Amino acid sequence: MHGWVGKILKVDLSDGKVTTEPTEDYVDQYLGGRGLGVRLIYDLYQPGTDPFDPANPLIFNTGPVTGTAAPGSGRVDVTAVSPMSKLRAKSNFGAYWGPELKFAGFDHLVITGKADKPVYLWIHNGKLEIRDASHLWGQDTFNTQKAIQLELGDPEIKVVCIGPGGEKLVRFACLITETGDAAGRTGMGAIMGSKNLKAVAVRGTGSVYLAKPEEFLDLALQINREIREHPASLELSQWGVARGVQFSYQMSFFPVGYFEDVCWDEMTDKYPGPDYVQKYGIKNMGCFCCPNRCMNFLSVPEIGKVLTSCEPFSGFTGAVWNTDMNVFMEATLMVNRLGLDCTETSASIGLLMELYHDGIITEKDTDGVAMERGSKEAILTTIRKIADREGYGDLLAEGQMHAAEKFGQAAVDKVDQVKGLAPHAYEFRAYKGAGLIQAIGHRGDPLPVRGSVLELDWNNAPEWFQQVAKEQFGAEEAAIPTEYRGKAMLAVVSEHLERVPDNLGICKWIYGLFIYQDAEIASRLCQYATGKEWEVPDLLAISERVRNLERAFDVRQGLRRADDILPKKFFEQPLSKGKFKGEVLDRAKFEGMKDEYYQIRGWDSASGIPTAQKLQELGLNDAADDLAALSK
Amino acid sequence: MPKTVVIDAQKCSGCRACESVCSLKHEMASNPAKARVHIVKWEQEGIFVPVSCMRCEIAACERACPQGATFRNYTTGAMEVDPYRCIGCLSCLYACPFGATFLDYDSGRVLKCDLCDGDPTCVKVCPTGALTLEDISKETYLKLTQNADRIPALVRAAMGGE
Repeated sequence: MHGWVGKILKVDLSDGKVTTEPTEDYVDQYLGGRGLGVRLIYDLYQPGTDPFDPANPLIFNTGPVTGTAAPGSGRVDVTAVSPMSKLRAKSNFGAYWGPELKFAGFDHLVITGKADKPVYLWIHNGKLEIRDASHLWGQDTFNTQKAIQLELGDPEIKVVCIGPGGEKLVRFACLITETGDAAGRTGMGAIMGSKNLKAVAVRGTGSVYLAKPEEFLDLALQINREIREHPASLELSQWGVARGVQFSYQMSFFPVGYFEDVCWDEMTDKYPGPDYVQKYGIKNMGCFCCPNRCMNFLSVPEIGKVLTSCEPFSGFTGAVWNTDMNVFMEATLMVNRLGLDCTETSASIGLLMELYHDGIITEKDTDGVAMERGSKEAILTTIRKIADREGYGDLLAEGQMHAAEKFGQAAVDKVDQVKGLAPHAYEFRAYKGAGLIQAIGHRGDPLPVRGSVLELDWNNAPEWFQQVAKEQFGAEEAAIPTEYRGKAMLAVVSEHLERVPDNLGICKWIYGLFIYQDAEIASRLCQYATGKEWEVPDLLAISERVRNLERAFDVRQGLRRADDILPKKFFEQPLSKGKFKGEVLDRAKFEGMKDEYYQIRGWDSASGIPTAQKLQELGLNDAADDLAALSK
Repeated sequence: MPKTVVIDAQKCSGCRACESVCSLKHEMASNPAKARVHIVKWEQEGIFVPVSCMRCEIAACERACPQGATFRNYTTGAMEVDPYRCIGCLSCLYACPFGATFLDYDSGRVLKCDLCDGDPTCVKVCPTGALTLEDISKETYLKLTQNADRIPALVRAAMGGE
């Protein structure tokens, strides 16, 4: 095959059985990466299986463009049933592990079963070995990677692993590779921990063959050049997201605290991120073959070195009322070493701070730690206690709702979650499209996608982006944050666009959000890599099939229209200040957007379930039958 | 005028785009293991050292070759290996003071940077200026030695020393 290396590797940790299956049977319908992974888990997972049951499959998915010379070709999708939402989990990480898996000869890795003692997997040029990991159990993620490279005698081995968080089944534990690349959301670290699996090490010297290598190289060079000349890349490659975070605070796009208030001048006017990056940033780094270096490698004497981007910059500053960047640095390093999802961890801390602020809990509830807003002790102690499952950290490790239930009904009323996860930290009262996409999306946190970024971009040049919205999403209003019109189509198109790079195994920041904002370039990469004559509409059709199968999976798990909702705060408390002062979600109009969304999707509007007709039209006859059987 | 690739390890972000396009250009497939340039990485320290042929004035690989298979291409300045003369003894690999002559483990061929006939693909994609193509001149020579001087310090830092 071209693009794909052709094999799906399957290992059962309970009996050590290793098998392979050809990738080819799936690619015409599901392409690869995320899409193919959805099919694999739909077929493998038996409804009713507990997320921590050995039968819950953990699946790593690369795509046909992963590991090629295309910029941003280092992405891997991870899926299982999430221990947080009980829905299909979806997580994604970059760096160098995914390409290495393909060089070792595999497109996908399916792990089932449970080892009777701690083990790690060693995948090397077509072979898989299950090795003892007793000596690694308890080690943090950085030391684990180094220890495996030393043990196997090759510094070029790429390792993705869990830290103590995953071992102790913290429900939002993540996977870490290198120092800052995480499969962060939906608790994949806990699933690995439940299988007694510490790490997956890969090394390969094989080739990814391309259908049209010369054309592919020319296109890769062109993309490389275009990225480096692009303003977004010039910004990201120097500052990472640090300056973008400040802009997002200024535009009331990022909330402060636990979605409590916006426009805190410590964030809008004095956000300390850019200065910190300038002072302690050694260099910017990216993933495999990528000139867009969106992550900052920070080295702070006395604290350490870490690669970070995106969520920690707001999660460990505004979200926990913190203005001390050394605390941000320590917290980021801790969650990466311990293997905890930064977003859920910071939201959990934010919840406790709000409960303490409102007098719902006192320091007696939190082992004597006063959960003052912005307190260094509160932030760092809570992180450690979550990973150790000590005291109140043990409650939080089971999830925000579990902890709130112990604190009483007043605390439960405070919890802001969507489908069991902290929602993406955007201010949905002002940004209605982002709110809709968040509510109707998969996994509890489907953001960011192009639609949500478009609403933020609108602040820079309203008329321009309204024109873009009209051309790409069918209505000018789609770009205007406070509008309800045009948002359903914005959500549908954004979801389809997002799945193109995800299915190809490439970066959605490059091929969907910031550099290229349609699927044109991605489709040419796909053609030259695979030799399939697929144009943009063909790739989008696959995206639609994937979205519907994802929904069918979640419906099988019990998801209905009523679950596609945001916390009540967004409908009840208008913003008190800032650019979007007074904005709040109108419940009737919000439900109206959802009606429109289900209608465009061809889903039943009352239940949110895909109709049999829609599923059959997409060739998902088995899913149609499964959903029909549910209602009997 | 012949040019040479100057490596500045301090600037490298470790993305391996050079490895990836090099293999595609020469082998018609993406495979860093068959590239003519490699990045030695200490990812936890953020230190990356690109390694590729330095086109030495007195080339150890050329001297070590018992068959005279390694020769200088005077059009491009590149040190090349004549595959018909090469007997695969790997003397050049061991002789290279930079570890910059590589082996294709599948075929036993020696892999050596040929400067892509004077227009190196790796330089085109390097986003940080860690790889640049420069005229052979006194300034370039000084730059090469200064960059090389910094490498031991980088490596010591990567190994946890001062």
